[in-house]
Amino acid sequence: MHVELTINDSPRALFVDESESLATALRRAGHTEVLCGCDGGTCGVSKVFVDDEVRMACGMDALEADGSTIRTVQSLGTQGALHPIQQAFVDHHAVQCGFCIPGMIIEAAALLAENPDPSPETVRAAIDDTLCRCTGYQKPVRAILDAAERLRTQPEAADGVIADE
Amino acid sequence: MNNSADSSAEAAEVHPLEWDEPEDNRKPPEDRSSVSNRVEKVDDTKLVTGEARYTADFVHDFRSVGRVSVVRSEIPHGRVLDIDRSTAESIDGVWAVLTPDSDVVPESLYTSAGQSYPEPSPWDMHVLHEHVRYVGDPVCAVVAADQPTADRAAETIDVSYEEYDHVVDPDAAFSSDAPQLFEPDEVANEIVGHDYDRNRMAHIEGELGSVSSAFERDDCVVHETEWETIRQSHANVEKHTALAYADEDDRHVLITSTQVPHHTRRQLAHLFDIPIRDIRVKKPRVGGGFGGKQAMVIEPIALACSLAVDRPVLYEASRSEEFGAMRSRHPMRVRARSAVTEDGSIEALELYALSNTGAYGSHGMTVAGNVGSKPLPLYSKVPNVRFEADIVHTNTPQTGAMRGYGAPQGTLALEGHLDVVARDLDLDPIAFRQAHYMEVGDLDEIAGMMGGEGAERRIRSCGLDECIERGKAAIGWDEIEQPDDPDCHRGVGMALSAQGTGVAGDELGGAQLMLNEDGSFHLHVGGVDIGTGADTAFVQIAAETLGCSPEKIVIKSSDTDVTPFDYGAYASSTTYISGMAVRKAAAKVRERLFEWASRMLDAPIGSLIAADDRIHHETTGESVTFEDIGYESMYGEDDREHIMATGSHSTDESPPPFAAQFADVTVDTTTGEFTVNQLVVAVDCGVAINPGMAEGQIEGANHMSYELAVSDGIAVGADGAATVESFDEYGLPSATETPPIEAILVETHEPTGPYGAKSVAEVPTNTVPPALSDAIADAVGVRIRSMPITPATLRDKLTE
Ligand code: FES
Ligand code: FES
Repeated sequence: MHVELTINDSPRALFVDESESLATALRRAGHTEVLCGCDGGTCGVSKVFVDDEVRMACGMDALEADGSTIRTVQSLGTQGALHPIQQAFVDHHAVQCGFCIPGMIIEAAALLAENPDPSPETVRAAIDDTLCRCTGYQKPVRAILDAAERLRTQPEAADGVIADE
Repeated sequence: MNNSADSSAEAAEVHPLEWDEPEDNRKPPEDRSSVSNRVEKVDDTKLVTGEARYTADFVHDFRSVGRVSVVRSEIPHGRVLDIDRSTAESIDGVWAVLTPDSDVVPESLYTSAGQSYPEPSPWDMHVLHEHVRYVGDPVCAVVAADQPTADRAAETIDVSYEEYDHVVDPDAAFSSDAPQLFEPDEVANEIVGHDYDRNRMAHIEGELGSVSSAFERDDCVVHETEWETIRQSHANVEKHTALAYADEDDRHVLITSTQVPHHTRRQLAHLFDIPIRDIRVKKPRVGGGFGGKQAMVIEPIALACSLAVDRPVLYEASRSEEFGAMRSRHPMRVRARSAVTEDGSIEALELYALSNTGAYGSHGMTVAGNVGSKPLPLYSKVPNVRFEADIVHTNTPQTGAMRGYGAPQGTLALEGHLDVVARDLDLDPIAFRQAHYMEVGDLDEIAGMMGGEGAERRIRSCGLDECIERGKAAIGWDEIEQPDDPDCHRGVGMALSAQGTGVAGDELGGAQLMLNEDGSFHLHVGGVDIGTGADTAFVQIAAETLGCSPEKIVIKSSDTDVTPFDYGAYASSTTYISGMAVRKAAAKVRERLFEWASRMLDAPIGSLIAADDRIHHETTGESVTFEDIGYESMYGEDDREHIMATGSHSTDESPPPFAAQFADVTVDTTTGEFTVNQLVVAVDCGVAINPGMAEGQIEGANHMSYELAVSDGIAVGADGAATVESFDEYGLPSATETPPIEAILVETHEPTGPYGAKSVAEVPTNTVPPALSDAIADAVGVRIRSMPITPATLRDKLTE
């Protein structure tokens, strides 16, 4: 079976197995930035945007995603030009092993698109289903609050990223 | 075992307070160029963009990679009689089914503990087991073209067993009529004090002075308390993952999520009878370890599978295997006893631990040893100290190394006990501790009282007073306000902790540094970054030594074919041991750079200083850049030299870092519900090489410690099987469930460490259970001694 997807702005046709998850299909297609930390739906690290909605890619059948637009963490920024959220994670030393970070950044991007000035409690609630074993969440929360501030003062830094999608 | 007065006098001579420290190792903050700066973590941009590669990502380098599914014992204890694999083998896409008697499966006994050689753990395991000892023991492995096929085939395999009696409770296991887990010929490399008739894999004890005579004194009050801790999961978000293949030279390569690449190479070589030179272990980015990957847990299965099918094979554990069949923190019952005079002088301290090592003995003795050897030395002024532990087997999942390594269990018992005593004798809990704890200049004999690995040590840095002072101020120790609601009470509690920095006398790290012609450097380190930021710390140490900017250094670490040797990431050793190897290599390269600069500037070496990627003449201001030196030394007319050097470091020192933990809690006495308003932990880790990363370590460790206080951990059923299969069933505190944690860095200077550093990542793992237990006692007068502290246990206690 095959599905047609737009992944980070590129159209892709993927052959997928009937019961294959979107996460497995994306990883097979080389999108190893989509990470998996559990047996499905409980760690949050596999988060991607599916038609602008945050989904755990492991919890969705690849077939169900047919025709949709997928954005992974790689749609945000590159190593040479980080997105303000990514930059804030770096600046705050909010990254340790990094395994939860793509999922956490996707969730932060969704939050800040909706709510540009969240409280610390709102940030914690937003990342509540993304588990992190390394950081105790202190620095990620601070990084997301700082990213919100950066995006408010310099919205152009995130241009072409998640704005008006 | 016991240190006489004479031997301590001798020890005082070999442990002078003055340490022969390189002159430039101690720099005031304003003179530091890289060290103690918040340098960007070297792997961060690839981590935040998702371009970093973890083990499972490497399957894309191959055309086809076999996937593994392991059939695990469904009974707690017994012997495999028959394995019916016919259906599995007939399934399309199944490449091989491995059983304990397959040719590629080694017959020899081994330990999974990734320790130095010979391992201080019994060799009591097989790669696949005929004699199964817990629900989850690996029996059979299926290799197939993809994961669903492997999993489906594994389900069809029918294993029949002869069932034996089993035992789950450690007290019950430790008796001569309990079912016995090991026959004498089923263990090699046995550990001191083993008594397998009673399921005891080890017994250890040590004493300073005479505890029993202090307990008999009329002027002393004797207190006895008992404490219990849960079986905690490492819960590293990246599961254990290993990719095994043969390269084009027909050598065996493992890309694996490990903390111990070199130990893994040696252990695989011994187990599979392959020369060490023919095995290459590469560690890519690792998604957390915390001790769970200081074990060769899945690599033997991956290698055996790859040998069987002669193709690359990936074994990625499932999350339910992570909880039920990988490793966990040893659950323990610890008894504390003390003899204290009316006016609060501690005359004797004693800890006894009963440690449940589960089905196998990896790290069993050494973790139990640390229950005593980490917390007790904190109170070096106490004249009589005793520690004893029994480590017993049960038919439950395997335990192993976990961040803190016995210290969390011991710290709960000791710190909790001291608080009980202080309250009972109406003493100020902080002043009571302060009157007995170690200070600079002390000779710590307690760390060495069990003999072996932990020798006596001279204390050369100690910031405990400042940790307490700043922690108290941050939590508002003296100004807690009670809530308006009359049913709610607020309290504060505290605990202290000491750890070590590496295993004294049993560590080794190597580094190599090479100059490129453009003045940049390649740094190869055996040391292992499992997400901690170790690579960045290495770069900072090298940059500080060389006088270059950290961006000029390209680091490669943990590839046994390419990088120097290293014991690996455990025992809080990496910055201290491997970092010192880096410092030594860099110091030698710096000498060569000065030699070349002196020639090029025609100036004596003594007149030169290195800074900002160049070497300057102190007075004339003339300079050459590292790039000038690079080109001249490589392409110059006369002399040529590749400027490079190696460094290797090993030491008997293991200086303790210190932590003072504070917890602020509000308890509702009607429901037992409690809110942790704040955790504050002040840590003396010497000079923090990178304060941002150090704070991250402290916050993460305190989060793990909080979990140890409030979570059920991995509960086991009547058959000893883990009842937790997914994160949903495991109490890893989420963002909203985690209290605010304030990390405070208290700087001291440890002369034996690179630029004054000692360890940081473990000590804050030890302290939340006792501090929270104290805070609750302060708030409502009841004390929880069996972890976890939950609203239900608290409500029960309140209504007692
Ligand atoms: S792998 Fe998708 S939520 Fe864990
Ligand atoms: S940074 Fe390691 S799991 Fe979050």
